[in-house]
Amino acid sequence: MKRQIPVFLVFIFGVFMVFQYFSPHEASEWVYKFLMDWIYIIGIFAMALGIWSLIHVSYDKIKHKRHDWGYSVVTLAALFIMTFFGITGFNENGDWGFYFMTQEGLTNPMFLNFFNYILVPIETTMFSLLAFFIASAAYRAFRARNVLASMLLVSALIVMLRFNPYFGDAFAFYMNKTAAWLLNVPNMAAKRAILIGIGLGMVGTALKVVLGIERGYMGKG
Amino acid sequence: MKRSTLILMGLVVIVFALSWIFKAISFHGVEEHYVLQGFLVTLAAFLTLSIMSFLYRDNPFYKFAEHLFVGISAAFWMSMGFWSTIVGNLIPRLSEGLSNFFKVHYIPGDYNIFFYIPVILGILLLMRLSRNYGWISRWSLAFIVGTTAGLNFIRYLRSDFINQVSATYVPLLVDWQGIGHFFSNLSLSASGQFIMMLANWVIFLGVMCGIIYFFFSKEHTGMFGRASRVGIWILMITFGASFGYTVMGRISLLVGRITFLFRDWMGLNI
Amino acid sequence: MRYIFVIFSLVLLTFSAGLAQVDTLGVDSILLNIAPPSPISNLTVYDKANDHGHALILEWTPSPDDGAGMNTVMLYEIFRSESPDSPFVNVGSVPLGNSRYDNIGILEKESRDYIPDNTDLYYRVDAVTINPEVRASSEVFGPVRSYSNWFHRGRVPVLLAVLIFGGLMMYFVTVARKGAELYVRPLAGISAVDDAIGRATEMGRPILYIFGLGTADMISTIASFTILSRVAKQVAEYQTQLIVPCYDPIVMTVAQEVVKSSYLDAGHPDAYNDDMVFYITTNQFAYVAAVNGIMLRELPATNIYMGKFYAESLILAETGAVAGSIQIAGTDEVGQLPFFIIACDYTLIGEELYAASAYLGREPIMLGSLKAQDYAKAAVIILSILGIIAANFGLTAFTNIFKVLD
Repeated sequence: MKRQIPVFLVFIFGVFMVFQYFSPHEASEWVYKFLMDWIYIIGIFAMALGIWSLIHVSYDKIKHKRHDWGYSVVTLAALFIMTFFGITGFNENGDWGFYFMTQEGLTNPMFLNFFNYILVPIETTMFSLLAFFIASAAYRAFRARNVLASMLLVSALIVMLRFNPYFGDAFAFYMNKTAAWLLNVPNMAAKRAILIGIGLGMVGTALKVVLGIERGYMGKG
Repeated sequence: MKRSTLILMGLVVIVFALSWIFKAISFHGVEEHYVLQGFLVTLAAFLTLSIMSFLYRDNPFYKFAEHLFVGISAAFWMSMGFWSTIVGNLIPRLSEGLSNFFKVHYIPGDYNIFFYIPVILGILLLMRLSRNYGWISRWSLAFIVGTTAGLNFIRYLRSDFINQVSATYVPLLVDWQGIGHFFSNLSLSASGQFIMMLANWVIFLGVMCGIIYFFFSKEHTGMFGRASRVGIWILMITFGASFGYTVMGRISLLVGRITFLFRDWMGLNI
Repeated sequence: MRYIFVIFSLVLLTFSAGLAQVDTLGVDSILLNIAPPSPISNLTVYDKANDHGHALILEWTPSPDDGAGMNTVMLYEIFRSESPDSPFVNVGSVPLGNSRYDNIGILEKESRDYIPDNTDLYYRVDAVTINPEVRASSEVFGPVRSYSNWFHRGRVPVLLAVLIFGGLMMYFVTVARKGAELYVRPLAGISAVDDAIGRATEMGRPILYIFGLGTADMISTIASFTILSRVAKQVAEYQTQLIVPCYDPIVMTVAQEVVKSSYLDAGHPDAYNDDMVFYITTNQFAYVAAVNGIMLRELPATNIYMGKFYAESLILAETGAVAGSIQIAGTDEVGQLPFFIIACDYTLIGEELYAASAYLGREPIMLGSLKAQDYAKAAVIILSILGIIAANFGLTAFTNIFKVLD
């Protein structure tokens, strides 16, 4: 019962979604739209579980004064303060209450400030770190250990050097042509082969899940 | 805490304070809340440098920025989810009273009763926290997994299988007018028949060998093994080309961040 | 002087009015003198196929005066009514030269553009000239009804693919259940998982398992759950520490269930703690920042990346390499594979991620499904060769089989 009902539910909803694709009927589309809405709503309840997990782990660290417990205080403080700014604000008349957005924009200026001056700078900086990491990855790739690594290295070098003006116009011309060919021809072939394989793998796994053959995600007991 | 760390932290605090003061002075007369603006810009620069310090090694500034980021981003997504889904989508269909409280337009309808089902499934999901009744949360998970598995089954069968297979139908004999005509018109120019045919043959053979590489239930020996080898070579060439292509894009992200530090924070016109 | 000015102004006004009168008379006479054009002919109206109803298609033979003859037709106006005797309502128009109109209704019943299903409707098409009053109406066509279709005929190729693939899967799973020996070639990344877990146990360091940014509705994440269950079972047997930071709360919920069950399966239920699998945040780079911190502080011996990854893949893999961890990655995100191949010790490419669960468990049913996938690949190769031959010899009937119509 603890596992049979979930497996049955997976089968029912999975089969319905497959049949729904072939049936453009209004009733079928209506049910499909409902199911998609339900997934979003359940996802928000799951968010509560996630936040609970975050609070629990941080609180546990603080309570037992584990290593770097002070930073967990920062996490919890940031979480509660931002939540407060996120669910309260001022409306058009200047009254404070549970407001988020009016026609003029976000009701709480501190929510927007936290977003613009904390969230966005950190996020873009993390993204920009990719430049350093790609350099260290390139260094690792340049140590060609075998034939396959050498092929990877050579094609990477061709594409990276295609706009380099320092080796002369003729070199740049042929490098550019070769890089363009690499990006358009073997690249397309390999991507197509990978996508066909991925497609079959996804389809196989999805079918196994719907038919109840694959139950690893359900756990046992 | 080590003495050197304390000195470093003290220096950072002094630099932060000085930066705040100077930025506030520069915003005076331009921005209404110049003190707050000065603080926020300094904070953004401080956090930027804290994250970048990670490249050297893990340190208290990075830890602070990381934990702050986690807390604020989690709250941000929770707020957005609450207002867009719960208040924007669910409450207007369930309760007129709550709709009035949150100042959203109540949507009466015969089918609103069906929206109690995801609420019930959501509550069942929360039973995960119960030691004895946690198993009941699997029903909600089964709904999500089953629905999306069925949806994705069809979606990927069409996009990653049928569409990809039909896309391999490329002409191998482009503008074919006979062997004599082909050899008398050999050309390496991009628009030449030879180049187009070569490209199409490489694509065709590349796809076939790539698919052969992914065979699991047959040993890769003999002719089959050779085709599989060609397949992995094509894959490696592709991965190298993709890597090289991405390098330039990533460098430009760093340029953007450095520009912020020099222009917006330090006020240098670079 | 004053009188001369007044007389001159009066003469000027009269003259201008006279000119305007002449002009208006000229344009008006052109408009009044337009002869009515010939009406359209062969009007047919039928239900739009393969849709959810509320749509009809009109086709006609254009008026002889459209681009020819008197050449006075400017547009066609479409009118609809629920009875031939009640007033007709204009529902749309198309410019000259057209012979088709798709009357697609919207679903709001109160709207003027709503087309009721299973209701008799009548249509008329007017050929209209530059003077909207001068027009020619066609014969009324009707009654005609729109219907909602239960089956989309344009998607038959997909249905065939579903039946063939499903059939192959069921056949090989049945064969496997009967005890047939199924060979699978070795995969380096999968073989390395056992060694990596052993290494972590010897070093007394934890294993870090990362789902990436996938949500529970993604197939790659579902495949990752199965891999996690196998890994967690081994980890439980060796009594090594497992850390599973999650990006999505539903993924966290499922992963907790999976790991808990694996520990129960391994006979160590008390060793399981919900805090092994925890939620961080649903922000890409906040998640990465936190996982980086975990890598550098907990120093895991093994990092396993299985699932959906985006730009953060390189940051994670490079940080893991700096921390000295053995790294095994598997993703179906083609754009991130180069980074994993460069930075990780072992990488499962695309479909190998989906095969991994079968490899790790070695259950006959799972291996049977791999066989089915291989047969499907063989079918792809055969169909591709046939399709290319057909394309080169202009046999479009074969290539059209794979055209899915929306």
